[in-house]
Amino acid sequence: MSSTLYVLMPFSTRMRKAQYTEQSPSNQTSLAMMQEPQEMVEETVTIEEDPGTPTSHVSVVTSDDGTTRRTETKVTKMVKTVTTRTVRQVPLGPDGLPLPEGSSPLGSYTDSIDRRYLKNGERYITTPQATSTLTRSYNNYNDSYTDTLPPDAGGSHYGGRHYGLHDGYGIGDVTDNYGSLSRGVNFRPPRYPYAMANSYRTENSYGTLPIRKDDYGHVAQPQVPMGSSSVDLNRSQPERFQPEPYGLEDDRRSLGPEEEEPYDLDPDYSTASRRQGTLPGTNRGRTVREPLRDGPRVRGYDDPIEAELVDERHPYIHGMYAAPLAQPERGSMASLDRLAGRRSPSIDSIRKDPRWRDPDLQEVIAMLGHPIDPVKSNAAAYLQHLCYENDKIKKDVRQLKGIPVLAGLLDHPKAEVHRKACGALRNISYGKDHDNKVAIKNCDGIPALIRLLRKTNDMEVRELITGTLWNLSSYEPLKMVIINHGLQTMTNEVIIPHSGWEHEPNEDSKPRDAEWTTVFKNTSGCLRNVSSDGAEARRRLRECEGLVDALLHALQSAVGKKDMDNKSVENCVCIMRNLSYHVHKEIPGAEKFTDPSVLQAPGSVGPQRKKKDDAGCFGGKKAKEEWFNQGRKNGENAKSYDTLDLPKRTEPTKGFELLYQPEVVRLYLSLLTESQNYNTLEAAAGALQNLSAGQWTWSNYIRATVRKEKGLPILVELLRSDADKVVRAVAIALRNLSIDRRNKDLIGSYAMRDLVSNLPSGQQRPAKNLEEDTVVAILNTIHEIVTDSSENARSLIQAQAIEKLVAINKTSQSPRENKAASHVLQTVWSYKDLRNALTKEGWNKSHFQSTASGAPKAAKNGKPGYDDTTLPLMEKNQGQSVTAGETGDPPGLAYCGELNGYSTIDQRDKDCKYKSSGDGSVDLTDREPLKNETNTKHYVRSNRPAVNLVDACDVKPQPVDSWV
Amino acid sequence: MSSFLSQLHFQLSCALQQRIEICKLRQGEHLILGFSIGGGIDQDPGQNPFSEDKSDKGIYVTRVTPGGPAEVAGLMMGDKVMQVNGWDMTMVTHDQARKRLTKKNEDIVRLLVTRKSLEQAVRHSMM
Repeated sequence: MSSTLYVLMPFSTRMRKAQYTEQSPSNQTSLAMMQEPQEMVEETVTIEEDPGTPTSHVSVVTSDDGTTRRTETKVTKMVKTVTTRTVRQVPLGPDGLPLPEGSSPLGSYTDSIDRRYLKNGERYITTPQATSTLTRSYNNYNDSYTDTLPPDAGGSHYGGRHYGLHDGYGIGDVTDNYGSLSRGVNFRPPRYPYAMANSYRTENSYGTLPIRKDDYGHVAQPQVPMGSSSVDLNRSQPERFQPEPYGLEDDRRSLGPEEEEPYDLDPDYSTASRRQGTLPGTNRGRTVREPLRDGPRVRGYDDPIEAELVDERHPYIHGMYAAPLAQPERGSMASLDRLAGRRSPSIDSIRKDPRWRDPDLQEVIAMLGHPIDPVKSNAAAYLQHLCYENDKIKKDVRQLKGIPVLAGLLDHPKAEVHRKACGALRNISYGKDHDNKVAIKNCDGIPALIRLLRKTNDMEVRELITGTLWNLSSYEPLKMVIINHGLQTMTNEVIIPHSGWEHEPNEDSKPRDAEWTTVFKNTSGCLRNVSSDGAEARRRLRECEGLVDALLHALQSAVGKKDMDNKSVENCVCIMRNLSYHVHKEIPGAEKFTDPSVLQAPGSVGPQRKKKDDAGCFGGKKAKEEWFNQGRKNGENAKSYDTLDLPKRTEPTKGFELLYQPEVVRLYLSLLTESQNYNTLEAAAGALQNLSAGQWTWSNYIRATVRKEKGLPILVELLRSDADKVVRAVAIALRNLSIDRRNKDLIGSYAMRDLVSNLPSGQQRPAKNLEEDTVVAILNTIHEIVTDSSENARSLIQAQAIEKLVAINKTSQSPRENKAASHVLQTVWSYKDLRNALTKEGWNKSHFQSTASGAPKAAKNGKPGYDDTTLPLMEKNQGQSVTAGETGDPPGLAYCGELNGYSTIDQRDKDCKYKSSGDGSVDLTDREPLKNETNTKHYVRSNRPAVNLVDACDVKPQPVDSWV
Repeated sequence: MSSFLSQLHFQLSCALQQRIEICKLRQGEHLILGFSIGGGIDQDPGQNPFSEDKSDKGIYVTRVTPGGPAEVAGLMMGDKVMQVNGWDMTMVTHDQARKRLTKKNEDIVRLLVTRKSLEQAVRHSMM
């Protein structure tokens, strides 16, 4: 808030300048003076007191936030603009006073000093100009004050000049200003905003504060005299100080108060009125300031001041003139500023100062509607700051109807304004309070964000927009809204360009790599969230032109560059996984591929196939079969798959078809091999799980391709992962893959030990302590593997699984685990040829009966051991559900990309982690074993899989054959 | 006889490096050449039924559409594609070859192919 106040000051200064300028064409002299002041300022820098010192300003800013800084800079620019306007108005209020041209000084400042400083410079300038008149008196002051003020002569000069300015102010300026202000106020209430603006600017530049202080400090002294009256100038310097304070207050007001006004910022309070009051009161204000200068004094005033301040607001409302009383306070405030400014104090310190009153939320929100753009942007920036990590304020902003105003500012033509508004919205949209998100949606904030995304090229703004959208996308009801308004735009504006994918690749040049920008990360995060919103959402995303192509390209680029651990890759894989969910049911024309005959004559399905046939003939078939079958002598079942001839395409696959092309298997396997990011691993395994589910042509291809690409060992090795969700996804993927008979044999032979080792033994859970869902998934996978394969059941027994299964069946607290274990046991018992071996190990039929819930059933059936029929039935049911469920629900990725404007990157990440809910098919939010979320595997993968799941015959990748 | 042989040799070498110009057939939006390719440096050369040297990772014509542009132009199954419009095809990935052949802005593709079968036939006849 304090910052806000400061901002205001500069503005007022400008106003004055402008006025001055017009009134009294800048005198060269005045200019010179101006410049001097500047120099002074710099020198002042050394001195604590000199607020003008650029350095101090800067430091202050830095301490606050990067944001703050920006604001300052921007503000400066704004100031220029404003100045111009002011000038126009100024003409109205002519003054005989010799005021230096504000503009000219500014210019000089600009050149020599940074823009930021410009503001300050302006102020200074103003002051100096005014000072010219007063200067003399000041000099005296300086002497007396010297102690207080920085020793620098410059300071004294400054002071003098400033004072002079003030004086001028008080005398002529004030009047002028006054006149102008009053007009503004009277004529158009809105103008008061200007005052606001001024204050605003002040705020913007925290750095400015110091300057002000200087002004104040210097000014204050001089001002006091000045303020007291033009006559006062003559007054004795010392005397002025003490007595003047109040008299000066008015000046203060003009100078300080306005700035302080940040509080005033409330539109309602009619800053204008204040201003008016202030201006007139300027003198008083100044007086007050002086006291401020004297550190001790000021403080003494604190308490009273505060009280006054509080009252002041209303006072303002009541009347401008009522201010006088308040003024003193303000003055004190000003002094505070100075104090703070001396050490280029951090904003915080200023804030803590009880004498400062920050604008309340309502006031800040009201400022969003201020006619002056810098005020808007600063108000929005301040809101962003306030909202950071403060849910209460977010809620308050909502309840004060601030969100629609912010959303409205998104369409503001000025970059500064929509940027800040977007920043505020981003913070507001972050968090568990979904009402905030809904509020943004209800005021059409989502289309506004999308519009802005289309319009702006400013990377920062794009980051803010997409970050906000990411936040919004974490709330279910908003997902479809985002899809409806923004899907294609996000794809076209962000995903495609940043993925490196090109519609019409230039084949003579290298394919472009993906750029892992923040914008891409945010956007992919948003899409990741919305992609979990059900079938319709999936359909929309699949059919979004270029989306799947671009995501795949980005992932391939990641694999190519071995850069697979970042968040963007994770998001992309998660989207792919979600879009792969139920793909065999949901893609248009899927039914054509579902024909059971596919298994026998896979090629006969689908239009593509027909084309191929047309083209095939001509003896080509023989060669083709040779081509594809060469070196392949798989088992009986394998034949059906291996003879599978991928549908031929006369054109490159594109769009959602890419999701289930066997080519993606290699991509996912690369990710599974290389990535260290648990979420990525889980998603990649989940994608394979989804693709290998169901009974359609493509899942047959996928299952065979995983084997041929040596994917089984990769998956089995991941069963050793420390990450619960990875183990679970892999286990389910293996279950789906084992629908392929050859896969089942291989998995049964080589993966059984790893599966079993993940099972808890008795009460004591293994080190991993996997969640129930994972244990159940593993049990179901084992069940699938041993079904219809006594060989695999034998492997299971050899893996010492029976003991564990019996223990789970008997003692697990989880009914689901009981049931799943029971199914496995019953299946094992159903193989009569294994019973001998089992009996030798001391097991008997009772061990294989389901306990508790299961027991009654078994009893009913009479022959539990024989339950072949019964059990299988159950299994089948389960199996089906499994098949369906195998796919794994598209994870609800409630990943909030929380972007707090002020947050440091670290914080952001922390937030994300904190917020991230599991994206697994199951809501892993709390269960995640990997609380650290480091996503780094703790175990070291052996390069060579211990498990040799490679089907020797399938080692060679299937040759690719393309029609051209 | 020797002259005949030398003549045959000449013809043979011509046959070994044959230039074939295919005019793409437009089918709707798509330009079609009417043949399929296999091979490439990213493919398993051992599975190429057409290559004599099973480490040859070149691009081979695996199928030719009857009556299609490629057949009309004289392309035959088993031809090894050496160049496409001057671009070397002996050290490219499968996809690169495919893309090179399917540029949408080119209506005509000039291939340089070798035909081992023909070579063998010639050789047999010579023996």
